[in-house]
Amino acid sequence: MKHHPEIDKYAGLSSPIHNWDPRAKLIAILSLIIAIVLIPDLEIALVGLAIALTLALISRIPFSFMLKHMMWVIMFIAPLFVIVSLTPSGGIEHASLIAVKALAAVILIFPMIGTMRFDTTVKALERLKIPSKLVQMIMFAYRYIFVFSGEFQRMFTSLTSRGFRKRTNIYTLSTTGKLIGMLFVRSLDRSERVFSAMVSRGYDGNLKTLVEFEMHTADVLKAAILIAIAVALDLICFTVV
Amino acid sequence: MHISDGVLSPQVWVSGYVITGALATYILTKKTDISEIPKLSVITAAVFVASLIHIPIGPTSVHLVLSGLAGITLGLAAFPAILVALILQAFLFQHGGITTIGINTVNMGLPALAAYGVFLAVTRTNIKGKYTIFGGLAGGIAIALGIALLSLCLLSTGEYLEYVVPYVVVAHLPVVAIEAIVVGAFAGFMLRVRPQLLKGYKPREVV
Repeated sequence: MKHHPEIDKYAGLSSPIHNWDPRAKLIAILSLIIAIVLIPDLEIALVGLAIALTLALISRIPFSFMLKHMMWVIMFIAPLFVIVSLTPSGGIEHASLIAVKALAAVILIFPMIGTMRFDTTVKALERLKIPSKLVQMIMFAYRYIFVFSGEFQRMFTSLTSRGFRKRTNIYTLSTTGKLIGMLFVRSLDRSERVFSAMVSRGYDGNLKTLVEFEMHTADVLKAAILIAIAVALDLICFTVV
Repeated sequence: MHISDGVLSPQVWVSGYVITGALATYILTKKTDISEIPKLSVITAAVFVASLIHIPIGPTSVHLVLSGLAGITLGLAAFPAILVALILQAFLFQHGGITTIGINTVNMGLPALAAYGVFLAVTRTNIKGKYTIFGGLAGGIAIALGIALLSLCLLSTGEYLEYVVPYVVVAHLPVVAIEAIVVGAFAGFMLRVRPQLLKGYKPREVV
């Protein structure tokens, strides 16, 4: 299992993106991502990538951190790039368009999600009228991912200390299946205790947090500018090209 | 198994959102009680963590998908669970994309529901080790269907992706066998340890 650094590690920094209202930030950057994905032209897509990089720069999140998080996308895009650029109906330009748009979209996730604590993101999603059950599942699952990841790490360490080694064979696979089973049993036992504790403290199926949002003129202005850029990017392609 | 942003045509990823929105809303509002949410989330998190496990294949490795496992433990709720897992993967780890959350949920969630259907047949059979066998079937079928749906998405996006499809299929074929064995072993283990967690398990049945 690979170690993943947390996305909101740099939520404590200060930048114009950090102090942007979470709801306005989510909507504006999401619009920009969608606009960039819709671009059919490589040059305009490069402009989109430049805008994404600018926003990432303004957010002051270190590029080394972003690069570490982007390994998976790069691993997905690299073979795709090679195959499409060798395909007769594809070519280098088509392949580059895909790669540039994919990179721009993933870079924008950092200013969007990485500039606030994840529980603030979840709260903002709720305020944006995402169904409550879904938001709660996101919140609970998020809390437990790190707990279970630690639990799994411990179980794996104890397996390794008894001589287990991952190899390409059926024994490894069936042991993995049983290991997952054990993770399930432990997780559910723990969750039942936590759930009882939650109910006894007044949990009634509704989300309550201490975060309160306030929308100021500056927040609306920033969102308006970004959405205008997003719309402009697509309009250029569909009128000029 | 999940596609990043910028690859698929808008028609494909927008329809992904439409299908996911409709199906997830239906299952969450009509088929799920609010008191089940914490338990569902816990299983979602466990599936999420387990899907980060890497299995070595010779010099390289693949990671587990476990859509079938979600199906046999969560039933219909596997669909919204996979949606949540994919939202978290896109937000936290940048696996997959933002615009493709909908279509990726379809590609993994529908096979999870199929796996659930296959696994329910366990109640109508009476052979030794049937939970392991049906668990394995469910695990393998979920991945095979996932590959089929993924290929369909790539092909309907454009001709220029036609050569990507064989690459995707070949890269995922070992996963079918791997998941079949892992999910089969999981189902057999659960039967002994906590059988009520398996959908379709009947307490009074003699196994």
